[in-house]
Parts: sequence; C-alpha cells; structure tokens
Amino acid sequence: MTDIVISDLQQAQDAIQDAVAAKSRLELRAGGTKRHLGRAASYDAVLDVSAFSGIIDYQPEELVLTLRAGTPMEIVEAALAEARQILAFEPPRLSRILGEGAPGASGTIGGVIAANLSGPRRLTAGAARDYLLGFEAVSGRGELFKSGGKVMKNVTGYDLSKLMCGSFGTLGVMDEITLKTLPAPETARSLLVGHDSLIDAVSGIASIFATAHEPGAAAILPQTVAAEEGVDLGMPFTAVIRLEGIEASVADRLGHLLALSGGEPLDADRSAALWQRIRDIQPLAERPHDIWKVSCAPSDAPRVMAALDPGLDVRMIADWAGGLLWIAGTSPHIGTALRAAIAGLGSGFAMLIRDVGATRESIAPFQPLSGPVLELHKRVKASFDPLGVLNYERMHEGM
Amino acid sequence: MNRRDDICGALRRMLPDGCVVDSTESMKAFDSDGLSAYRQVPLAVVLPETVEQIAAVMKYCHEQGVKVVPRGAGTSLSGGALPLADAVLLGLGKFNRILEVDYANRCVVAQPGVTNLAITHAVQADGFYYAPDPSSQIACSVGGNVAENSGGVHCLKYGLTTNNLLGVEIVTIEGEILRFGGKHLDSGDYDLLGVMTGSEGLLGVVSEVTLRILQKPATARALLVGFEDTGDAGKAVGDVIAAGIIPAGMEMMDGLAINAAEDFANAGYPREAAALLIIELDGPEVEVDALIERVEAIVRKAGATSVRVSQSEEERNLFWAGRKSAFPAVGRISPDYLCMDGTIPRRRLPDMMRRMNSLSQQYGLRVANVFHAGDGNLHPLILFDANQPGELERAEEFGADILRSCVEMGGVLTGEHGVGVEKRDLMNIQFTEDDLKQQQRLKCAFDPGHLLNPGKVFPHLHRCAELGRLHVHKGKLPHPDLPRF
Repeated sequence: MTDIVISDLQQAQDAIQDAVAAKSRLELRAGGTKRHLGRAASYDAVLDVSAFSGIIDYQPEELVLTLRAGTPMEIVEAALAEARQILAFEPPRLSRILGEGAPGASGTIGGVIAANLSGPRRLTAGAARDYLLGFEAVSGRGELFKSGGKVMKNVTGYDLSKLMCGSFGTLGVMDEITLKTLPAPETARSLLVGHDSLIDAVSGIASIFATAHEPGAAAILPQTVAAEEGVDLGMPFTAVIRLEGIEASVADRLGHLLALSGGEPLDADRSAALWQRIRDIQPLAERPHDIWKVSCAPSDAPRVMAALDPGLDVRMIADWAGGLLWIAGTSPHIGTALRAAIAGLGSGFAMLIRDVGATRESIAPFQPLSGPVLELHKRVKASFDPLGVLNYERMHEGM
Repeated sequence: MNRRDDICGALRRMLPDGCVVDSTESMKAFDSDGLSAYRQVPLAVVLPETVEQIAAVMKYCHEQGVKVVPRGAGTSLSGGALPLADAVLLGLGKFNRILEVDYANRCVVAQPGVTNLAITHAVQADGFYYAPDPSSQIACSVGGNVAENSGGVHCLKYGLTTNNLLGVEIVTIEGEILRFGGKHLDSGDYDLLGVMTGSEGLLGVVSEVTLRILQKPATARALLVGFEDTGDAGKAVGDVIAAGIIPAGMEMMDGLAINAAEDFANAGYPREAAALLIIELDGPEVEVDALIERVEAIVRKAGATSVRVSQSEEERNLFWAGRKSAFPAVGRISPDYLCMDGTIPRRRLPDMMRRMNSLSQQYGLRVANVFHAGDGNLHPLILFDANQPGELERAEEFGADILRSCVEMGGVLTGEHGVGVEKRDLMNIQFTEDDLKQQQRLKCAFDPGHLLNPGKVFPHLHRCAELGRLHVHKGKLPHPDLPRF
C-alpha cells in the first residue's frame, strides 16, 4: 500500500476523485499523533497531508490567524508566543499519552481541530470549535468548498466550521483554516482546596464560580494523584482553581478566594507546570491503563464515579469543574459501567481515548448514538462524502 | 373544500382551541418581522403549546408536503421569519417558560419563546446573567437567537449565541424530537448543536434551549473617546487589543450618528468629533481600574481629541444611552432608514469609510455608521424616504454595494443579522456555486423536501436528488476499470 503524498487541495481533489472513481477509501494523516483516537479507519491508502504546513497570515491586533491545517502545533505555539497570544481553548498534547508519532511530537493544528481537543480553559473560554472561524476543504465528493470567513463575527450561511471540528476527518480534507486568537494572560496562579469527597469538591468549586472572582479553570485530584503531583493537602480530594489576568487582579482575587475557601496558594511556576500536566492527562499516562474521557454535567460527576465498582481499581482526574473525567484502569468493565451510568443520567458521553490491549475491539470508542441521531449523522456524512471515501468508520460503524 | 381549508381543518383537529389562526385579519399581526419592508400573510398561523404538538404539526406538514416557516418573537432584521403565502407559520410564542435554573452547573433550561432578557432577569438576583445581548433583547426570543446566532455589543469578550449555548431540543421536519448537547460541555459526535445555531430555521424547529449563564462581573467602567479622524479611532481599537486587552465592548460611531444620538439622548458626546469610541471594561475592580488607565494612555497616544472616563454607574449608563438610542435617533432625522450588517477585517475600516462616503455621494443618500469596532461588525444606517418614488430601491442598491465592499475587503455579508431574504441574492458574492451546493446538501440531510423556511438564505434551490449526484470532474480516468491503489 502506498501513501499518496499531496501538497495542496488541487491534488487532494485529484486523489479523492480517483478514489471516488475506484470506489476506494482513504485515511487522512498529517502528524499521525492521533491515529489511535476513535476507531481504526477502514482504508486502502493513506492521504498524507503533512505538507499542508505553514502560517499564511497572522494579524495579532485583529485576533485572527490563518494557516494551513498540517502546521505542527509547536510552530503555531511559537508564532503565538511571539505576539504574546494564545489559542484560548488550550489544546492538549495527547501524543504524550497516545505514544503516537515521533517522541514528543506536537501533532498538527488540523488534528487538534479534527478531534476538537480542548484543555482546562475550555470550561470558561470555549472549545476548539468556538475558535475555528473558517476553512477551505475538499469534500469526499472531490469538490473544493469553503465556509465561514476570516473575521470574528459572521453568520453568513451554515456554520460548517462547527461541523468540521470533531469530525475526525470524515467530512473533508482541510487546508487553509482561520482561527481566533486571544492575548495570553499576563500571569496565572492557583488555589488548592482540600475536600472530604468528590461531591464536596464539585460543590465547593460551584460556590467559587458563584463569586465575581472569575476563576478560569478548575480541576479535582484524588489524594494519590495530588500526592504524586506534590499538592497533597492531606484530604481525600484536592480542588485546583486557576486564576488568570493581570498581576494586580490575580493577587486580589486569590486573596479573596483564599479567605473564602481556606485553601492554599500555588505560585505561578508550579501552577503552570501542574496545569500543563492536567491538560495533557500526564498523571494517568505512565501506567499501562486504558483511559476513558467522560463529559457530563459537573454535578453528575460523583454519580458517574459512584457507578464504577470499587473493585475496578480506577485512577481518575477531573477537570472542567467536574464536567470532564479522565478515568484510567485495566478492567474491560470500565467502559460498560460508564456507558450505563451515562444512559442513566440521560446526557453526557464516554469515549475510549487509549487502550493498552484490545478494548476497542469489544466496545465502541465513541458513545453510541440513538437511532434517529445516528441516522441523521449518516445523512450528514453522506452529504459530504456519499461513498465513504474519507476516514470511513473512524467514528461510527457504517459511516 | 380547497386545499387550504383541508390543511386548516387538519391543524385544528390536532391542536387545542385557539392554536390555529387563519382569518386574514388576525394573520396580519404575523405578516412581517423586523424587516418590515416585506410583508406577506401566511397560509395559516399555528401556535402550539407542547413539543408533541409541534411534532404533530411537522409530521402532518411533512406528509402533506406543506411548507413551514418557524417564528420566535418575529424580530429578525433580515426577514428570517417572513411568512410565505403557501406555508404554515409556526409561532413559538406560547413556549414562554423557564424550565430550570441550575446554578450547580451554571445554566438555564428554557423554552424557545422566552425573551433573551428574561433569562438574565431570572438569575440576576443571584448575581448571574446571560451574556449575548442583541439590541432587541427585550423582545427577541432565545429560540430565535439560536436560529440567527445572535450577537450584541459584548460578543468580542463573551461570544455569540453559539458560544453560550450548551444544548437544544429540536423537532425535525419529519416530526422527530432530537437533542443535541445538554449540560455537558463536549459531545463526541458531529457538532449538530453548532450547525443548528445560525441555521435560520432551515434545519429544524428549536423547542428547548440550555444556555450557559455567567457570574456578573464585579464592576464595569467605560471610556468615551473622540477622534478627529476615523482612521485614528480604528488604529486605537487595534492598539488596545495589541496591548493584550479585550474590552467587554468597543463601539464606534461616526459624525452623523454622534450628532443624531446626542440630539436624542444628551449623553455629552463630542459633536465635533469625526468618530467616537465607547470602550467598556468589566471584571474585578482592581483590574478594571488598572486597565482603564492603560486604555486611556493608548487612545491618547493614538490621537484622541477628547477622553472621558466614567466615574459612576450613572455616567457609564449615560455613555451608553446615546449608542443604545442610535437607531431611533437616526429615525428622527430621516423618515426611513435601512440598517445594514456586514463585517470587515478591522484594519480595512478607513478604506471602508472612504468607500461609503463615495457611495453616499453616488446614490445621493446619507449614511450614519454605528460599528461594533472590536470585531469589525459594521452597521451602516442608510437614510431615505420611502414616500419618494425609487428611494427604497436606491437605498437597497446602496446597501448591497456596501455588502459587496465588505466581501471585497476580506469580510462577510452578515455579522449578526442573518441572510434571510434580505441578503439571499448576494450569497454568490461571498460563496462559489460549490460552496453553496455543499451547504444545501447539509440542508438535504435535515430536510430533503425543502419544506422548512424555504426561500431564505439560498439564492437558488437545487433539488436534493440533483445535489446528491456525484460528478467526477476529471472525467476520463486513464484506466477506469483498474483498482487505483
């Protein structure tokens, strides 16, 4: 099997039209760091888009960055750092837990968008999908199309940018994309608050979010993890609350919240190091565990965790004020229990992020969709890619 | 019995008394939306009371091939809720209840007919608010906000509806009740919540929303800054952002708008200024005080000719009073006006002002500008007199030229008002035929019969079967019968 290496969307059109004519399937690949996210795509050849790289136009004072989708994240981050800006959704580096690509590989911005990956600031600043302003792509029909634009405020036509985020390359091959950027916070510090239980931690965080002190991120570490990360307060759970902004503001808000919650401060350097590890799920990375991602209403987090039999012996960290749970362990029953818990709650999703054995062969990595929603997904997929040329079955069977 | 009687009879049988309005006189109340130059009495108006009733109406219309136009509060500025003579108008006005206020998860679950401002009213006693604040927020409904992806003056910092919406329940044209999103943040499937937002009622009827609420900032202060030159004002906006500051709002007005607003509101605006900026900062008090100083230094350096900083909440509200009354104020100096809505990259502002001046001379019509300067969203108000033959058409042509210029300068046709019927025929300025076809294919996935809000957004309707056909442009493959890989 040969890789088809292409350098622009014209060539993407040729390759996809060839595949349409031959009724064959393609797997899209740039950095290759996220290949093990989701199902294995069914394909006859790899469409290598790693040459789609480079920044096209960056106007920091307009908060707009236009670049090619295959641009490595380290290049993106370096350009942003020079202008003291950020991607506010705080994209994680999952290559560290997935062990894919070159060691320490950053992945590409296109991969981040295709998987809609967001970090701790997602709680207050939104997800990758909130920052993609527009794109150009070739559909699975071999047609070049664009959507959105290069300006921040735009409601012209359907917002296909949202659809491309998290579509795992199943709808189109993107090249030029435009992102909204934001100024980097001048400083960030954190507050540590000990809690007796996960329920207390979640409601303690909720009470902090009911103040005007503008917390920006909130994670919860069980005591074993807190101890490994050097932030053990001698309590079963430690809430970590991050405050960002100008120095005077952060100091003032931290002071108020310390008085309110009786916690302990974490200085800027240690705060940055800890949040990077939380962002990249590092506390769960080293052990040979399957890792599940659960997104639920924050107040449902204790119920999701309670659904896991203590005998399953899981490790977890919570982010997004409890609305994001990373759950690691070796038992094949974790996924079944999580899916049952979510079915009981009636909302949320559980996705298998990493398996060390063959877990994904026995359970769907993506949360299964209900009948009519799955049918709609299939029709949406078919509207972009009727023959299933692009990343076929990467997300769900039969689409 | 004719077909209309059949349809009205069937609708009456499936809905409680008073939920079907079909006399021409009563339907006049529904014949227009915020784009009042266009009027049309619908086939019938239905005002269902439950989601099951919406589903029953949709199912019936789908089976019978009857078109449906959804309507929230009817405040669309682009004719998004304009009725069709052969379509049922589905009014969501009776869905006016807030279902749940959930502080633990910082969200509100509401029916689609609840007004935007009512969400904030429901939570403000506890220090929370709902961020998107379109200027029609007293009247516009949250369901309509989803359909139009409404913005407001604070979107630079707080985003549009799409960034503040956690979940929806929708009813499809087939009468299926589906949920996308919820109180959780990420969902692992296609972002149909995102696609529904701003889809202008073409993909489904919103029957419930889950909105993110935020803690109200501790304080807010504003600066009122005058400039002799709009270019300097534009540069000042860029300088503030380049300094790493994202104000809660940055509004610009030009000379005509400044004077009209000052006549109306006596806000103390500098009448001699060519451009006025209102820059508002919100957040913790120490932060706002520090940033106000930084912003003041930046705007002075950029050439501000007058700077006032609000010293009290009354003064801040006074600064806004002029801006918020800009539309009625312009209404006083002209019998009629058209409110346009395009976005440009902000650095093109001086070019755009020059272009508008020359168009103004060419068409012989005045234009006043209010502008969400932070995000490049323009609202030129074209002044005309509908009683003068040909002036409405001239004003519309002028408006279309402005929007063409927006696209030429790298911007877009609409920043927050939507395409609707107003900008439908301009879509091919911004999009290629293939761009529009792909959008319409998505429409086909939701509504293959083109029954939901037809005639809006797209200039040409293609049948879904035609859109679905695959064309291999390259035509001849060298060996079409051989496997290619």
